[in-house]
Amino acid sequence: MERLKKRNWGYLVSLALSVLLAFTIGAVILLAAGFSPLRAYGAMIDGAFSGARHIGDWLEYAMVLCLTGLACVLGSRVGIFNVGGEGQLLLGAIVSCQVGVWLGGSPVWIALPAAALAAMAVGGLYALIPGWLKVKVKVNEVITTIMLNTVAASLCQYLAKGPWKNANKNMVAATAQLDPRLWFHSLIPGSNLSTAIIAAAAITVLTWYVMQKTSTGYEMKLTGQNPRFAFFSGIKTDRLVIVCMVISGAMCGLVGMFRVYGVEHLYRSSISNQYYFEGLTVAMIAGYEPVTVIFLSFFFAILKIGAQGMELTAGVPNQIYLIIQTVIIFCMAAESGVFSSLRAGSQRKKARADIRRKEGRDHA
Amino acid sequence: MADTAVRFEHVSMAFPGVLANDDVTLDIRRGEVFALVGENGAGKSTLMNILYGIHAPTDGQVFIGGTEVTDFNPRTAIGLGVGMVHQHFMLVPSFTAAENIVLSREPRKGRIFFDSAAARRKASALAEEYGLEVDPDVPVGQLSVGLQQRVEILKTLYRGAEILILDEPTAVLTPQETEELFAVIRRVVREKHMTVIIITHKLYEVLAISDRVGVMRKGQLVGVRDTADVDEQTLASMMVGRPMLYDTLEKTGVPGRELLRIEDLSVRDSRGLPAVRGVSLSVRAGEVLGIAAVEGNGQSELIEAITGMRRPESGRVWLQDRDVTGLDPGAIRAAGLAHVPEDRLATGVSAQASVADNLLAGRQREARFNRFGFHRRVSTVERYASELYERFDIRGAGVRTAAGDLSGGNMQKVVIAREFSFDAPVLIVAQPTRGVDVGAIEFIHSQIIAKRNQGCAILLCSADLDEVFRLSDRIVTLYEGQITGQYTGVFSKDEIGLGMTGGNREAV
Amino acid sequence: MLETILSSIFSAGTFNQMLRSATPVALAALGGAMTEHAGIMNIGMDGMILMGAFFGVLGSWYFGSAAAGVALVLVMGVIVGLFFALFTVKFRSDEFIIGTALNTFALGLTSFLSRSIFGTGGTKGNPALPTVHIPGLDAIPFLGQVLNDNSLFIYLTWALVLIMWLFVYRTPYGLWLRASGEKPETLRTAGVAPERMKWLASILCGLLCGLAGAHLSLGQLQGTFAEDMANSRGYIAFACVIFSKANPAVAYAAALMFGFFDAIGLRLQEYVSSDLTGTIPYLITIVMMVYVVVRSRRRDMRAGRRLPQRQG
Repeated sequence: MERLKKRNWGYLVSLALSVLLAFTIGAVILLAAGFSPLRAYGAMIDGAFSGARHIGDWLEYAMVLCLTGLACVLGSRVGIFNVGGEGQLLLGAIVSCQVGVWLGGSPVWIALPAAALAAMAVGGLYALIPGWLKVKVKVNEVITTIMLNTVAASLCQYLAKGPWKNANKNMVAATAQLDPRLWFHSLIPGSNLSTAIIAAAAITVLTWYVMQKTSTGYEMKLTGQNPRFAFFSGIKTDRLVIVCMVISGAMCGLVGMFRVYGVEHLYRSSISNQYYFEGLTVAMIAGYEPVTVIFLSFFFAILKIGAQGMELTAGVPNQIYLIIQTVIIFCMAAESGVFSSLRAGSQRKKARADIRRKEGRDHA
Repeated sequence: MADTAVRFEHVSMAFPGVLANDDVTLDIRRGEVFALVGENGAGKSTLMNILYGIHAPTDGQVFIGGTEVTDFNPRTAIGLGVGMVHQHFMLVPSFTAAENIVLSREPRKGRIFFDSAAARRKASALAEEYGLEVDPDVPVGQLSVGLQQRVEILKTLYRGAEILILDEPTAVLTPQETEELFAVIRRVVREKHMTVIIITHKLYEVLAISDRVGVMRKGQLVGVRDTADVDEQTLASMMVGRPMLYDTLEKTGVPGRELLRIEDLSVRDSRGLPAVRGVSLSVRAGEVLGIAAVEGNGQSELIEAITGMRRPESGRVWLQDRDVTGLDPGAIRAAGLAHVPEDRLATGVSAQASVADNLLAGRQREARFNRFGFHRRVSTVERYASELYERFDIRGAGVRTAAGDLSGGNMQKVVIAREFSFDAPVLIVAQPTRGVDVGAIEFIHSQIIAKRNQGCAILLCSADLDEVFRLSDRIVTLYEGQITGQYTGVFSKDEIGLGMTGGNREAV
Repeated sequence: MLETILSSIFSAGTFNQMLRSATPVALAALGGAMTEHAGIMNIGMDGMILMGAFFGVLGSWYFGSAAAGVALVLVMGVIVGLFFALFTVKFRSDEFIIGTALNTFALGLTSFLSRSIFGTGGTKGNPALPTVHIPGLDAIPFLGQVLNDNSLFIYLTWALVLIMWLFVYRTPYGLWLRASGEKPETLRTAGVAPERMKWLASILCGLLCGLAGAHLSLGQLQGTFAEDMANSRGYIAFACVIFSKANPAVAYAAALMFGFFDAIGLRLQEYVSSDLTGTIPYLITIVMMVYVVVRSRRRDMRAGRRLPQRQG
């Protein structure tokens, strides 16, 4: 436990240092591009904290980051990297939307669960393909999931332009709008925050609980750490990996549904702008630890909302957010690299000193 | 000084937490075969790695042919005429023998291009000169271990080595291949006046090949003797620091009913090649069946097939009269089998997980460790783990530390503790003491025999023949995936050695 | 109907399009072959291509010449390669994390700079790379149409495939490169630091991926940059590398296959939605990855049967 605590402190220090460094590097890039870093970062803080609407948007985006980040952790826990969450999310969004359109006349208690199930099913099935290929055929899942992302994006585009197109001629690529009865209730008027966050919170707690507190979580951890050992000790690792991948996909599909029913109320490509990759980045920065993912989601959501505000008020492109987020990863990797080489050096020095001391005694 | 090939003066080498070499002073003469013996972790390989420039010593000086080494890297050492054949071969499997031999000193044509014809020519010429025949065009990954070793030796000769270091060269060789290697060593020493340093822990080989022998213990050089003046007994006591007297292990009881039966089992290895060809054997309650085989003769695949880690191609495995062929390890364990795997780091533990989690593996679904059938009772797990930790005398910083932080011997004790605690009627034990220090070896051996006396059926597989002899009631020899002999009663090393090389296959 | 479709598919235009689509993937795959041989799993090629595409256009716009754009790409390629090696070789960071982060970083940086400098996410009509007319080639029917009047980089790629192939398989440095990935200790005990080869491979990969991007923006699209224009080509290149076992010549062939299906997709747009035909190359890539595994497994089984049965 002592060791664990020490490691947590080390992580926090490294994270704080990296965040500071990343903002410094971000400032240099802002300067180079002709912006005033002070003004930009000021606008960022304003953007994040001015008014209830922004707080609503912040919480909604934190929900997206948290769920996608946990979906990524769910895969990496058992040693499979789901890089295909973006595709699963898009498919979940469009299918759940269309289910809602079809069931527009039926009661809410039928339509909503049906839409949620459809989103999870389509996301899960779409994740099953790379999961099955990885486990049974041993095909690298990173490539297949990336390819399937592009395929899913095109497929959704096709559906939104063709068979499921909105009747309105001015909307080029969008599905029909949902009946307002089916919308998630807005919690803060004018913001993106809806009752979906309650479901999201429940899913978050459940995911954390299963991973950290149950025997299933223990089996997942062993499988990810050393699959051969896990199999040797009697765990059905193939099945576990596939199930985790499918659940990860189902979670992504559900995020798509939350975006449709909570925010957009129809499907169009703005339903997600590489959001899964931002969640994945959060998961990486968190070292794939569920609790850390949850906390960091709130932090990075502030950055994101702030960056969007900054774009509006100071005219700075909000992509500075992506830059800062990834620079944090590089800083943390560099720190651990530099730190471990420094530590090796000091251990060598100490070992040498020990010998000298010992020899001094011998000669005396 | 003229006849000194290598001189170590007060050489010390410290790794974080370990003093691998402690003030070693040693002269090695030109034109002699010098054997360096000692237990695992005595510091033999470290000393030779310093000579070869892989490590810079923390303290002290090294002279090669009278020149002090100031810049420790392999390039300098090679330049001074040192060549080393490592225990794990330094060969690129997809490269041909010729390419491996010339690597880093390739003949060129037109300054930038690799002259592969010249490389082949030079390799063949060298092979002929030293009588080390090997096909220069075959990728070394397809060569047998013995031939790969030849390529390694040719590589050092190509680089102009006058001092040849051989690190545990016979560990993977059959007795015949060992004889051939020794013939080569004698020839290069006699005809080319080379100096050969051979690291080993097989004492009869020391007596067979060396002129002088140095003994290392816990990083220190405890003595150098002329080989003619010593016998195995003296060397052994020098190595261990006390007279080598194994406690005799008391074996009690008579074999009971058959618990494990294997019928005509055939298994392919990971490359799809046949590794086990029609093996049948059976183990009864209260006996240890030892498998004696040189590495790579199918014993790993045989055990993997029995334990469910690998699907057999044909044949049957019966466990307590139940057909368990092709089931997964979980199902086979449930049918009454426990397994100490040959490679603890790859298969036996999760290095990142805590010692407690490693001791628990396989029992995580038991009711006592779960509240409501799913919520882990962490304190119960830790109490259970601590109990095993005490009982098996595991030494480390407690059950909450990562298993990867334990020493090799203690990590092995974690594996043994977990597997033995299942009280399974059948135990498969592979390489139980590989890389384990002497004290732990004694402990593990007594645990295995205790299991045997309790009525366990034990299948033992070890590269260490002495271990197989000491623990087994019966021995089978395995050669190229087939059983070549069965031995009971008093074992004869010659006979079993012959079986391990397929010599008396007709006798079966 | 079917006849018209088929004749439009197997026209000179299709094969010319194949060459054009294949070239950026092929250039990146050449770079990926270097890192693959050096034992680095390079997921970050997509970002490297994207940066090449952006800085090519940036240089071309700023200096008013495509050549200057390419020069800037070369400089940036070396920097990106050094950066990638710093983490994967020096710091021994997780290659997957660094590669993914590099891709996202490239997306953020290029979009940010594009919006800051050009005011929008993209730019068009900057000085582009010239096309090359080879006199006399037109005399050959069909082939002349396919091969002639292409962007300079298409011909450059052929030269690079040959050069990289010679480098890998016919020079001592190629041996060292392959050894550094397959068994680095071998090289170290021979007195050559394997890290040096890994750094070299990484720089070459940065350069070649940069050129791939430059071809995309300055050659194929005539001076255009658009956000995320690499469009997963880096991953397709990675698949080509795996498929070819990092053999530059085979990787080029794999890239041509990608180009062929991309071209077919473009042809079929007349009949089917472009959104659907656009998925073909990506689906083919998945099939390719599956085939690689199945192929190696089958080869092992054959090897097993070929082994002489040594019976006593």
